Amino acid sequence: MTVTTGVAASRRIIRRGAAFRDAGPPVALVVIFLIFAALSPQFRSIANVQNIVDAAAVLAVVTCGITFVLMMGSIDLSSAGVMGASALTVSLLVANNRNDNDFGLAGIAAAIVLGCAFGFLSGLALVLLKVPSFMATLGVSAIGLGVATLMFAGVQPNISDAMLKSWAIDRFLGLSYLTWIAAACILAGWLIQRYTRLGRYAFAIGGAEEVLTLSGVRVKPYKVAVFTVAGAFYGLAGVMVTSQLGAGLVQAGNGYDFSAITAAVVGGTLLTGGRGGILHSTVGVLLVMVLTNGLVQIGVSPYWQGGVEGLIVVAAVAAAVIPQRRRNQVVK
Amino acid sequence: MRIAIRPAAVLMTLSLAAAALAGCSEEAAGDKDPAGAGACKPADVKLVGQVRNESNPYEASWLAGGDAFAKSVGLTQQRLTYGGDSTKQQEQISQLLAGDTKCLVMNVLPNGDSDTAPIVKGADKAGAFLVTQWNKPADLKPADYKTWISHITYNGVESGKQIGDALAKSIGGSGGIIALQGVLDTAAAKDRFAGLQASLKENAGVQLLDQQTANFSRAEALTVTKTLLTKHGDKVKGIWAANDDMALGALEALQQAGKSGKVAVVGIDAVPDAVTAVQNGTMTATVSSDGTWQGGIGLAIGFCAATGKLQVKDIAADNRAFYAEQFLITKDNAAQFAQPKTDPADFDCANVFKRVAGPLK
Repeated sequence: MTVTTGVAASRRIIRRGAAFRDAGPPVALVVIFLIFAALSPQFRSIANVQNIVDAAAVLAVVTCGITFVLMMGSIDLSSAGVMGASALTVSLLVANNRNDNDFGLAGIAAAIVLGCAFGFLSGLALVLLKVPSFMATLGVSAIGLGVATLMFAGVQPNISDAMLKSWAIDRFLGLSYLTWIAAACILAGWLIQRYTRLGRYAFAIGGAEEVLTLSGVRVKPYKVAVFTVAGAFYGLAGVMVTSQLGAGLVQAGNGYDFSAITAAVVGGTLLTGGRGGILHSTVGVLLVMVLTNGLVQIGVSPYWQGGVEGLIVVAAVAAAVIPQRRRNQVVK
Repeated sequence: MRIAIRPAAVLMTLSLAAAALAGCSEEAAGDKDPAGAGACKPADVKLVGQVRNESNPYEASWLAGGDAFAKSVGLTQQRLTYGGDSTKQQEQISQLLAGDTKCLVMNVLPNGDSDTAPIVKGADKAGAFLVTQWNKPADLKPADYKTWISHITYNGVESGKQIGDALAKSIGGSGGIIALQGVLDTAAAKDRFAGLQASLKENAGVQLLDQQTANFSRAEALTVTKTLLTKHGDKVKGIWAANDDMALGALEALQQAGKSGKVAVVGIDAVPDAVTAVQNGTMTATVSSDGTWQGGIGLAIGFCAATGKLQVKDIAADNRAFYAEQFLITKDNAAQFAQPKTDPADFDCANVFKRVAGPLK
C-alpha cells in the first residue's frame, strides 16, 4: 500500500509541471498539420486524413508495445523479428497458397501467442541471464527473423483468407478495420497503463527501480510481463501487416523497431523511462505519419525527404526535452 | 586466479594455432600456378553459391538454380547467405579461401559495389574461380585477373524503358503515371529510372505526375501509393515501379482504394507473385533476369574453367564483363515463366556465353 501511495504522490508532484511539458508534442502535431494543410489542398482533404490515420495503424500498435518497455527504462529492438515470425505464422495458418490450413481466428491468435513467447524470451534473458535489454531484444529479433526465414522456405505465402484480407480493405465509419483494431489497442494499452499494477509498476520501475525494490516489490516478474505484453502487440502488428500486404513477408517488420522508438520519443516518452505513456506515443505516431504524408503531398523531392524528415524529428524532440533538461537533468 | 586465466590462455593458443594454419594454407594456395589449375577432375570441384538471404523469392530461386546445375554434374552446391551484411560476406569468403582452394568455384552476389574488390583480390590470390553478378565498381575489370572469370549484370536502363513502354502502351499512349523508385543511391534504381525517362521522351502523351521512393519495399510502396493516389486521384492511369515488390505493394494499395484493375502496374524482377499477377491480368508487365539461370550459370562458367574445358585466357574480352539477356514478361508469355526452371543446355560449356546481350561498358 505504501508503494502505491508513494508512486501516486511522486506523480502528483510531476503533474504540476506536466501541463506545460506534455503540451509540446500535441501542439507540434497541430502546427505541422496546419502548415501542410495551408500548403496543399490535397493534404487537407478528408480522403487524405483517412489515409494518414489508416497508414498509422500498424505503427501505432508496435508503438503501444514499445512504450511499455520504454516507460520501464529498457529498450526493445525485437519488433522487426517478432513481426516477421508472426507474419509468416499467420499467413501459413489461415487460408493460403502454400498449404491447406484454414484456421481463421485461431491462426491469428496463434501468431499473437508466438509474439508473447518471443517477448517472454526477451524478458527472461533480461532478468535471468542479465543480458542488457538492448542486446537481448536484438538477439530475439534475429531469432524471429531466423524462424520466419525457415517458415518462408523460398515460397512467399499469399493469404486468401477473406476475413483477414478484409481487415485492410473494408471500412467502418470511413476508416479501415485495421485502424479500429489499432484504436482498440491504444485504449487497451492506456487502460493497462492507468489501471493495472503492471502498467503502474512499469512506470515506477523506469522512475525509481531501487525505491520499488527496497519497498519489497519483486520487480523481475513485472519486467518479464512487460516484455511479454509488448511481444503480443508486435505479434498483432505482424498480423496487420500481413493483412495489408496480402502476403506473409519475412521483412514485415522492417524498420518498425526504430520508427516506433522514434514515434514514442517524439511523443514525449523518455528513453530513460518513467515518463510518457501510451497517449503520448500515439501523438508521436500521428506526428511521424503526418510528416511523411505531408512531405509527399506538398511535393518535396524524394532525394530531400529523408533528410528533411530527420531534421524535423530532431527539432521536435529537442523542443520537447528542453524544459526537462533544465528541470532535473534526466536526459543524458 | 590461475583457474580463471587458463580458459583464456587456451582460447589464445587455439586462435593463434588457427591463425597460423590459415596463414599456411593461404601461402600454399599462393604458390600454386594458376595456369595449371584447369585440370581439376569434375568430382573434385567444390561449388559455392553466395547470396544475401533465402528469404526473398529471387535469391531463393538463384540458389535453386545453383543446386540444379550442381546436380547435373553430380555435385552439390554449398549455399551461403550473409543476410545483407558486408562484413559477414567477407568473413565467409575468407573462410572459404583459407580452406582448399584448388578446385573452388564461387558464384557470388556482392552486397554492394565496394564489396567486390576484396572478394576478387582474395580469390585471385588463392587461385579460386570466381563469377560475380550485379555489383562491381566500374574500374575493376575481370580481364585484369586470372581466375575472376566473368562479371554478369543487367542493363537497368533497358529494363526500365521496356516496362515504361509496356505501361505507355497499356494506357493507350496518353495519361498520367506515377513512379516508385528504389533505394535512391543504388545503381539499379538510378538506371531503371533513367530508362523510364527515356521511355517518357518517346511517349509524349504520357505524363509523369509524381515520383517517390519506396526503397524497393512492398510495405513502403503500399503507403506511398496510397498517399499519391489521394494526391492525384483519378489522373493516375498507370504505376511504374522499379521492382516487383513495390509493384505488388501498389496493387494492394489500389485494392484498398477500390481502384483494382483501373490502373496499370508494371515492375521488374519477375518474382513469382508478379508473374502470377501478370498472368491473371492484374499487372501489366515485368522483366525477368532469370534468377535460376543466374544461380546456375556462375557455377557452370567456373566449373568449365576449373575442369579445363574453358581456358580463361581464351574467353573473348566481351564475355568477361557483360550484360545478360533479360525478358519482358507480358500476359502473352507469362505462362512459360510461371514455373522457373533451368535448361541443362544453357550450362553446357559451349553455351555458357549464349545470353550475352552486350559488353559492360
